[in-house]
Amino acid sequence: MNASTPSEPTSRRAFLRHGARLLGMTALGALGGALAGRSRSEGWVWQIDPAKCLHCGNCATECVLEQSAVKCVHAFALCGYCNLCTGYFEPEPNALTTAAENQLCPTGAIQRTFIEDPYYEYTIDEELCIGCAKCVEGCSRFGNGSLFLQIRHDRCVNCNECAIARTCPGDAFRRVPASRPYLLKTSHAQ
Amino acid sequence: MKREFRLSTRREFLGQSAGALALLSAIAAQRASAAPTRARNPFAYDVSRLEKTDPRLVTHHEVARWPAPQSPARRLGLAPDGTLFVCGGHYVTAVSPAGERGLEIALSAPPECVAVAEDGAIFVGLRDHIEVFDANGRRRASWDAPGRKSWLTALAVRADDVFVADAGQRVLLRYDRSGKLLARLGEKNRERGIPGFIVPSPFFDVKVAPDGLLRVTNPGRHRVELYTPEGDFEGAWGRASMDITGFSGCCNPISLALLPDGRHVTCEKGLPRVKVYSATGEFESVVAGVESFAANAKACGASDCSRGGLDAVADAQGRIFILDRVTAEVRVMQRRA
Amino acid sequence: MVSTLCLFALGGESPAEQRFPPPDFTETGHQLPVTTTPPPRALWVHYLDVAVLAGALALALWLIYKKRSRRGLFWLSIFSVAWFGFWKKGCVCAIGAPQNVAYALFHPEYAVPLTVVAFFALPLIVALFAGRAFCAAVCPHGALQDLVLVKPVKVPAWLEHALGVLPFVFLGFGLSFAATGSGFPVCRYDPIVPIFRLNGPSLMVALGVLTLLLGLWVGRPYCRFACPYGALLRLAALVSRWRVRVTPDSCTQCRLCENACPFGAMREPSPGVASPPFVRGDRRRLAALLGLLPVLVAAGALIGHRLGPAVAKLDPTVALAERFLQQQQSPVDHGLMTPEALSLQRAERDPKGLLQAAAEMRGRFVLACALFGGWVGLVLGVKLVSLSVHVRRADFEPDRGACFACARCFRSCPQELVRLGLMPAAEAPRPASEPQAVNA
Repeated sequence: MNASTPSEPTSRRAFLRHGARLLGMTALGALGGALAGRSRSEGWVWQIDPAKCLHCGNCATECVLEQSAVKCVHAFALCGYCNLCTGYFEPEPNALTTAAENQLCPTGAIQRTFIEDPYYEYTIDEELCIGCAKCVEGCSRFGNGSLFLQIRHDRCVNCNECAIARTCPGDAFRRVPASRPYLLKTSHAQ
Repeated sequence: MKREFRLSTRREFLGQSAGALALLSAIAAQRASAAPTRARNPFAYDVSRLEKTDPRLVTHHEVARWPAPQSPARRLGLAPDGTLFVCGGHYVTAVSPAGERGLEIALSAPPECVAVAEDGAIFVGLRDHIEVFDANGRRRASWDAPGRKSWLTALAVRADDVFVADAGQRVLLRYDRSGKLLARLGEKNRERGIPGFIVPSPFFDVKVAPDGLLRVTNPGRHRVELYTPEGDFEGAWGRASMDITGFSGCCNPISLALLPDGRHVTCEKGLPRVKVYSATGEFESVVAGVESFAANAKACGASDCSRGGLDAVADAQGRIFILDRVTAEVRVMQRRA
Repeated sequence: MVSTLCLFALGGESPAEQRFPPPDFTETGHQLPVTTTPPPRALWVHYLDVAVLAGALALALWLIYKKRSRRGLFWLSIFSVAWFGFWKKGCVCAIGAPQNVAYALFHPEYAVPLTVVAFFALPLIVALFAGRAFCAAVCPHGALQDLVLVKPVKVPAWLEHALGVLPFVFLGFGLSFAATGSGFPVCRYDPIVPIFRLNGPSLMVALGVLTLLLGLWVGRPYCRFACPYGALLRLAALVSRWRVRVTPDSCTQCRLCENACPFGAMREPSPGVASPPFVRGDRRRLAALLGLLPVLVAAGALIGHRLGPAVAKLDPTVALAERFLQQQQSPVDHGLMTPEALSLQRAERDPKGLLQAAAEMRGRFVLACALFGGWVGLVLGVKLVSLSVHVRRADFEPDRGACFACARCFRSCPQELVRLGLMPAAEAPRPASEPQAVNA
């Protein structure tokens, strides 16, 4: 009857509420317990397995970032330091010069430096690289495959569901422990 | 009607916002519908044009094909009596030209190359050293590794000399039959006019021609070089080009065979193709084009090209035996009548 | 033990096989450069996030219950948008966390990071005791929408109720997808994160802009009509120990707070005692709806089961297998090096393995879809039931589940103004019951 002192009807509800809350806590506790055995402090990050990568070009277009977090990296120890680098030059270059029309890279992100006769070194400018894998295909098609794609973790925002992974035709994306975040091609010496 | 500047009313603001919203959603919808249908890959590395061979250039046809005795198969060797030796798995296996297996030599490591001397002695190159067997497959000697970085890829025997192509050290080694290192040939030397070998991957071949000169592939320079057994540079032929007359990619040719009349048979990787060049190095014809090695062409590209490649030997009748390292098959090619 | 096994199974480099040696640079002595490997965020940064979350939750609770300060929550919102939103770029985020939990439950090889568990559990625990303090000003999604709300309009009750079902449906959708292991759709279809990243797929950016534009008039559209984690919090808040009250004292039924809530959470007091025939009719309807509930669940499950194979096409593996089989029947040229052509080449290498994996995945999908269908049926049924249950309410008070604890309504209450000393106590309306008592 009295609005300011709610009594019996609410107490039944309160009882139900208490019960439900207890149930909720128990459920959360059980879930936490089930997960605690398997959870770890360390997180996961995405990475590309270079052995499965098919160089399809999706990494340049599918990343949620405007400029993809996937970049070409160079395992220098695998490189042949070729003069005619098929990762650097168009399949049929006019001349082996750094002129733009001879370059394979659509953004000119590979730098070619003369080291000593007859060797040239190729380095990736990550600011320019868009991760299209054109050079990766060129390099591995004819050469040693020292150019390959990796997710750069200074750029990757580590989405729960990697947008590139979903569309990867090679199924090359997988989660790796954050303490070992790269899947590099290993060299002969190491 | 005269227009004045004034603050927009709330109704106008709402109308404008609604208009902007409609425009935005229209753009988004249009872009969303346009996105998934990507007809082509704008970043494709396109060499498809080069994967087709002009049929008029093809002078050989396949007369037989048999599987290599072991897999993965690496290289072929040819004994003076015409028997083929195939390096594959941990074995070197003798095979008749018709594909019947003979002697089989088991090894502790995968053999990379094999050569057979006139007297039947079998020289087997493992990655870092050479083992010598007699004609019955009994091991006679095991030579020391020539260097820490050695990666032996080819052997050639002439009378008392054994020439070894060491891709890892980028050098041609000359041994005597007892395993004594006589000389290091082909190292860069300005005074002697020797350019030096560019070997970016474990593909480096040497053959001894009947004229006594060595034919050595220099894949990084896209040519075949001629040396005397003493190591004097005598000349070279070949040029880099993706088209059929040249050597494709970064580093070709990868191997070499000599026809009885002195002409050359070359093998390439990346664009797997086998071609005939004249004794002086002019392009003559195609033995087998990229179309013939579909699996091999695909194998190069997935990760790198070191698992692809072809090898060839030519016997006294002019038959060319091509080993496809990817499919582990040997094709017997004969000139069309 | 399990985690170390996972470490070996998933991490690390490809086996160190013998590689061909690089050239010697004898003339220049050039040293090979080292391939750089910039590290991901360090572990302590993740712990810092958890600490910030816990701190922000505690601060929010204090601001809601103790200070009753909208202004404080406003500044906390700005902080949350800046920290969890623009600085952390929307990750790690509690909204996506239930998917990780579901994924972890069904994929033993995935060890869910402790940070994610904390982000999943902390707001829920708080909600179980004190309502949706997380939504109030800690969640960057909610905070951002809250900040852009300038001119609230009232969503009609029927629409509010109808759309209010969507978060539960989205929750079921996200959980079933995550449990089958074919994706995290809640993250994929999150419209706010592209705003935080100032970047993203054009469709989602457009949706985000749209959400915020809509949010100028409709309070927190994503929170109310889409957020799956909000659905969980709503359930937890329904049974919370403490609740947000408009008035700090006792309600005088002055109706001044009636329109104070921009999120449609304010509930009127129940209009006295209903007449018996009316009650009887209501009871009958309630019984009918309760009877209908299992029917709805069964129908949903059946429909979901039927739709399973079609929905399974959303999974990349299943899609590839279907395309592979189609390609066998009528080959299509997918062009040079296109993802389609390349994936088909991969399929050709191991067709048996692919088809088996796809069949397994489809089986999982059929089960998940059946469960999801049943869940949708349950949600609809419970919604209908809840609409025909009378809740006896004495005061104007926000609905436990729907209240975001934004503290907007506090200042509409004269008692609050009195408490703050902004209004003399004499001017405040007195409790409605008092005059009656005097008359009697």
